[in-house]
Amino acid sequence: MADAISLRVITPDSILIDAPADSVRFPGLDGSIGVLPRHAHMVAALDAGPLSWDGPDGKGEMFVAGGFAEVRANTLRVVTQSGELVSDIDVKRAEASAERARDRLRVSGTAAKAGELDSLRAQAALRRALQRLRVAQSR
Amino acid sequence: MAGIKELRGRITSISNIQQITRAMEMVATTKLRRFQDRAISSRPYTEEVAGLVGRLAAVLGDSVADRPLFNAGGGDRTLCLLVTSDRGLCGAYNSNLLRFTEQWKDELGREVDFFVYGRKGATYLKKRGHTMARFLTEPKLESIDFTSAAITARMLTQEFLSGKYRDVVLMFSVFESMARYQPTAAPFLPISADALGAEEVVGGSGVILEPDAESIFDSLIPRYLETRVYNTLVESLTSEYASRRFAMKNATDAANDMQKVLKGVYNRKRQEGITTDLLDIVGGAEALR
Repeated sequence: MADAISLRVITPDSILIDAPADSVRFPGLDGSIGVLPRHAHMVAALDAGPLSWDGPDGKGEMFVAGGFAEVRANTLRVVTQSGELVSDIDVKRAEASAERARDRLRVSGTAAKAGELDSLRAQAALRRALQRLRVAQSR
Repeated sequence: MAGIKELRGRITSISNIQQITRAMEMVATTKLRRFQDRAISSRPYTEEVAGLVGRLAAVLGDSVADRPLFNAGGGDRTLCLLVTSDRGLCGAYNSNLLRFTEQWKDELGREVDFFVYGRKGATYLKKRGHTMARFLTEPKLESIDFTSAAITARMLTQEFLSGKYRDVVLMFSVFESMARYQPTAAPFLPISADALGAEEVVGGSGVILEPDAESIFDSLIPRYLETRVYNTLVESLTSEYASRRFAMKNATDAANDMQKVLKGVYNRKRQEGITTDLLDIVGGAEALR
């Protein structure tokens, strides 16, 4: 398609994806958001979850650990602290980190007062790990 | 012949030292390149985050100045993140920065607490009796990555929010060129709304925001601060290795010059020795006749 969206996924270490796409879905905070070419200017905060796209070079799916997305002038830029293509997800590591987060929640559940921030953080870590697993297994 | 043996000894030891400085120069060159690459590969992220902050600030307008982290803290002290190196032999890199810090502190006229990266800075502060609130050693400066920079940024923000400090300053060397590293004090917190570079958004308020400008902005600001700290660290490391490479190159060159001079003296002495020996022999033979 002539006016495909140019999709870029940017992390602190590298540009993970730089490809044209006819449609993109990414995880907004209030649910999945879909973007088609010539979308209006939009800025969205992202949740941890799957980002998938369909383009002239084929379909693709990856995991993003939160971040932000901006659609502007027919480009979709996703900035995220970390993300992996489906094929790169380390299932063992994700399982281990989910287990770690569960442990931390168990501990901070008993000492609720001291660990309020910690338990929020552990919850976030658990959600990230579970989403990563889900993306890996949906393949 | 007196001195000739000592000369030979000095020439060998200089060439030994030269071998070491040359090796260090080469190590510094490779590491320098690595940190430059790292600075370049994180640039798209940094620019994107900074651009987003600017555009959102434009959407929010003047109300930006009322958000948390945009107003001076309740305390009367200043918190300073000082980035020095772990090891020496890098020219005036540390001493320039520390002298600058000392001056800056005198002009500031406020109590300053320091968070320190690098052993050189830590020893200096301890010797001078400054308050070192924290000495950041884990992970080592050289193996710094974005995650650990993010942790440091979070730590600084928490300290700022604790109400003990008025502001937070980053103290580091800006990499200007291969031979210039400018000590700089950059304000970190509170964020000044001007520094964000609020752009005019084309089409005014026609931006769709998901969920809304305030919450995106508030979750974006920590990311922005993380990139600031990460860049500070990478820039410092680049300066450090450029400075070390430069110092080691100078040392190698100086060793070369010294060796040339000493070799000249050595050869002259050696020839003098041969001449006097010959004269002795000829004189002796002459006398026997």
